[in-house]
Amino acid sequence: MQRLRPPRFAAWPRLTRRGGALLFVGVVLLAVSLWFDLRDIMLLAFVGIAMPGVAALFVALRAPKLGVTRTFTPPVVSAGSGASVAITVRNRARRTFDGAHWRDRVPEGLDAPPEAVLPAIGPYEGVLPSGDDTVHLEYRLRLPRRGVYGIGPLRVGVFDPFALARIDRDAGARHEVVVTPRVTPLERALGSAASVDGVLHGLQRRTHPNSDELIAREYRYGDPMRRVNWAATARRGELMVREEEQRGDPEVRILVDTTLAGRPRTGAFAHGNAEHGHAGFELGVEVVASIGVHLLERGFRVRCDPVADPARGSIATANSSGPYHMPGGDRLLLEDLARLEVANRDDAADRAPRGGGDRGEARAREARMPGFAVLVEPDERDAAGLVGLRQTIEPAIAFVAETVSHRVVEALEEADWRVVRVRRPASIGDAWAGIALRADVGAPGDGGERDASR
Amino acid sequence: MHPDDRPLSRAQRLALTAASFLLVAVASMALGPLISGSGWWWLCAFIAAGTMFGGSGLRALRVPGSLVPLGELVILLLLLTLVFGGGTSFALIVPTADTFPLFGDLFDGAQRTIQQQAVPAIAVPALSFVLALGVGVLAICVDVLVQTVRMPALAAAPALVPILIPGFIIESGAEVWALVFSAAAYLLLLRVDVRVRRRANLAGGDDDERAATVVPPARVPAASGLATTLGLTTVGILVATVLAASTPSISTSLLLGTGSQGAIFGRGVTPFIDLGRDLRRPEPRPAFHYFARDNDRPYFTLLTLDRFEGAAWGVTESPVDADNTVDALPLPDGLDGEVEAKEHPIDIVVDEVRTTWLPLPYPTRSVEGLSGSWFWDPGALTVRSVDTDTGGQRYRATWLDRQPTPAQLRSARPTGGDDLAPYLALPDDVPSIISETADTVTAAEATPYDAAVAIQSYLRSDRFEYSTEAPVEEGYDGGGFEVIAKFLENKSGYCVHFASTMAVLAREAGIPSRISVGYTQGTATQERVGGVQRIEVDSHDLHAWPELYFEGVGWVPFEPTPGRGSVPDYSRPGAGEAAETPTPTPGASSGAPSGRPELDPDRGLGASAGGSVGVDGWWWRGGIVVLLAVVVLIAPAVLRAAQRSGRLRRIRRGERPADAAWDELVASARDLGVRLDATATPRGAAVALAEREGFREPAAAAALLVLRDAVELERYGPGRHADEASVARLAGALSTARAALAVGEPLAGRYRAVLVPRSLVDRVRPAFGERTATGA
Repeated sequence: MQRLRPPRFAAWPRLTRRGGALLFVGVVLLAVSLWFDLRDIMLLAFVGIAMPGVAALFVALRAPKLGVTRTFTPPVVSAGSGASVAITVRNRARRTFDGAHWRDRVPEGLDAPPEAVLPAIGPYEGVLPSGDDTVHLEYRLRLPRRGVYGIGPLRVGVFDPFALARIDRDAGARHEVVVTPRVTPLERALGSAASVDGVLHGLQRRTHPNSDELIAREYRYGDPMRRVNWAATARRGELMVREEEQRGDPEVRILVDTTLAGRPRTGAFAHGNAEHGHAGFELGVEVVASIGVHLLERGFRVRCDPVADPARGSIATANSSGPYHMPGGDRLLLEDLARLEVANRDDAADRAPRGGGDRGEARAREARMPGFAVLVEPDERDAAGLVGLRQTIEPAIAFVAETVSHRVVEALEEADWRVVRVRRPASIGDAWAGIALRADVGAPGDGGERDASR
Repeated sequence: MHPDDRPLSRAQRLALTAASFLLVAVASMALGPLISGSGWWWLCAFIAAGTMFGGSGLRALRVPGSLVPLGELVILLLLLTLVFGGGTSFALIVPTADTFPLFGDLFDGAQRTIQQQAVPAIAVPALSFVLALGVGVLAICVDVLVQTVRMPALAAAPALVPILIPGFIIESGAEVWALVFSAAAYLLLLRVDVRVRRRANLAGGDDDERAATVVPPARVPAASGLATTLGLTTVGILVATVLAASTPSISTSLLLGTGSQGAIFGRGVTPFIDLGRDLRRPEPRPAFHYFARDNDRPYFTLLTLDRFEGAAWGVTESPVDADNTVDALPLPDGLDGEVEAKEHPIDIVVDEVRTTWLPLPYPTRSVEGLSGSWFWDPGALTVRSVDTDTGGQRYRATWLDRQPTPAQLRSARPTGGDDLAPYLALPDDVPSIISETADTVTAAEATPYDAAVAIQSYLRSDRFEYSTEAPVEEGYDGGGFEVIAKFLENKSGYCVHFASTMAVLAREAGIPSRISVGYTQGTATQERVGGVQRIEVDSHDLHAWPELYFEGVGWVPFEPTPGRGSVPDYSRPGAGEAAETPTPTPGASSGAPSGRPELDPDRGLGASAGGSVGVDGWWWRGGIVVLLAVVVLIAPAVLRAAQRSGRLRRIRRGERPADAAWDELVASARDLGVRLDATATPRGAAVALAEREGFREPAAAAALLVLRDAVELERYGPGRHADEASVARLAGALSTARAALAVGEPLAGRYRAVLVPRSLVDRVRPAFGERTATGA
């Protein structure tokens, strides 16, 4: 998704159509004047030949000094919405800067405004700035797809006064705008999370048997009612919950299918290409974003791993390692998801000697945590890996796109993964509601009580 | 430069118009060296200003852009009527039915004046008319290029027309300052256009949804680019000057072997050969007749040949001086008060002779009653016209009848001085027979006069025979050295030979000489008008005779040709006794009719027999007109075909092929008169098209669907690279669909679609909403 390219610098002046026409007329005139020995016309012929050259030299030699700043509002944009790009161009030269056009360089696929006239900018004002040396440009950039886009640098086309030659120069730097995947708000009233929570609660209590003695803290919005420490509440006079829950933060695991290993390599069924994204993959990323944000908001720590290699770490690219947690975790998650790309096939080859089951066992010693698998086009090795992980995950819910093969689905269902089908972004909410429904069936009392308490 | 040209405001249009006008006005200044005076330029500037600012006014009134050039043509016509229409106009500017023949006459006159005048030409009304017309048309061209097409760079082409002309006519070409100013005016136009375009784009950018909001600085130095512009202009012109100065001239004689002197504004006449041809005419044609009191029977001079270059006699080229009007001619050269001279009026009526030289006796003091513009040449005192000819002229000439006595001639001082040097000049390679003859004939004579008389009597002696046929048969027609040498051997020829021989012999003897070409005195008739005898001059009276210069008397005619004309009294040996009555000698009697058909191109000296020439010219001109008409008629078809092939190329190359195919299909449908909504989606358009008869066939309907789906996929779907198969399929579908479109159309409709493609009209119409090519 990231379409950063090294900035190309067109340092050579080009003749405009007008300059080319003038040059052509000049050459024809020169031929005529030599043929008929018209010395007088030769002057005009050379004007026609020389002017474009002089103009080209002029634009090549006279480099503008411009300071360009660019701001995006908002700085992080959700896919499908737009950002307003404000550019401030300040003339840092002592001469008036005139005769230029501007165009913001955007990656392919984005719709920047067409080339437009850059108004004349007055000379640099070191003292008592009145703003005459500054031009403000603002345009609205529609960002339909998730990704990180490098916007800029500003491409300034400088013309000579007769518009015979132009040179394109890049001014300023490239700025990144992060387009996060669309987050579908999930129904939090549903009991799905409750069921997850319930399982977790028991688990944690077993792991930390002395937790009751730890200090209680005040109730925060979103704390389950069952964690209320009634004794502490009675002492303090306000609602207190058991603090130990904090330490053993509920953690969920989201396994993302990033390699699309099952997708056909070539042929007519290879829909789409890397440039324009893979519809199923985008759907998967949206599902991950929606669930992840939802769970983070509910206080979970969210660990996001690739299906192909769950042990080797998260999808996070750089700064944030380990699970996401609030505060700030949702933003990090979304940003990482914005940068998420379909992993390379080479990576897929690397994982061949992987022993998914063993590591799964290793994890199993730590905790059994809830897990969500988001599958787009997994191959059977991925499925086997998920089956192996199943014992460390409870409950295990797999959101599968339509492109997931039957065999994978069957393998997962046999291993007691709960498989929920997601067809399109709009149905993410329904899919979530689907697990809730089944969770409710599994633990009706819990769900009902929780709904009532909120 | 930019496809999205915003509409300009009135002030911007006006600025462009002013710059265009400046360009036209300055460029037409380049004609300066060709035309004397400056009135013509003011006229041209007036016409250009009226046309261009008139067009600007029309645009301000929101006249559709395509109609403005027509409106400008109308304005041009009105202005021409105002200036040249004279009494034929209605309310001064509205042309009437009489105006157009007047314009036609002016145009014909201009053609003649261009042929006849030497530079600098006098801006006679005919010439002014053509200049005004030309500049007006150029102004319209410039205006269309600048304002309608919005390509001011191309305005160089019409502006170059007046600049190129001088180079073809005079050696030095247009003046340097005119060229520099033209270049500067052109650059100014470019600059104004750049500014106007920037302003308009800046102002009009808001209406586009995608466009950015631009907040310019509150104030910017207004003359921000002025210094840069001036500097760049200066540098460019200086560089051009240096380059032009340092370019070696490739001589055209090396390159082409011909001189660059054009034939227009010259006097392309080979008088001698034509004279001979006219004399050989079996039937004489009446040239003119005259009425002379006092029984005058002068020779009538048309032109005077004073330059002898060995191969031929020629006229010293001299431009017409506008001050030399024929109401007062100067005294002839060399005449002093001692010679008896009386002024005699003579009335001349031209019958059939068509020439730009006026038949006049030498020397004439004044001419009255001429129509057109006539001017005299200094020295020879011949009178010629710059814009008309002798056809239908009826005029009165007052000529000076000189009666020099032999004593006066004999006592004439030897001539000297540089003035007469050209009349003594002889090329170096004089054949020996000429100098020997000159020596033997004039050796014994003491004075130039006696030498002249001796030469005349030698040529008039029995040894020489008058024949218009012999030189042609022997192949020595003309007046050059070789011819004279041969003539002196064969001793048979006609007036041309006698005259040139005597002139050359006289120069050998040190007497300044020249040859006059004209008519002898003619034949008297019985008819009398008001007591004055009418005398007819016909084409057989064409004649050439030498004139010799004697200090104190001036140019004196001699008559060396035996049997022609009249021998002046003073030129007889032992002259002074009796006045010789003119002896009319019809040329036909002296030579047998040659029986040659009259296919000589009439170059103006003889009577008019130009019927066949006229017909030829008509065919030629008609051919050009027909050719032009054909070009104009098929131009839209050619444009449309070029557009189609461009789209097919796009399909082949895979540059948005479906778009190109669909555009072509829609355009083809439009050509056939199918009215598709410009805003219709491909789907909508396909539905409309599918109702046509041709698409009932399944193959055609399938092709239509293929095209529709392809264009929808390309416009709205993810961008994909077209492969060969899909391109081939598109091309096939396009040709099928286009064939299906034509089904059911009458033949006339199909021709109309080809010849008058309506899709082009739609394109030209600015209101048509064209989809931009680069949609994302």
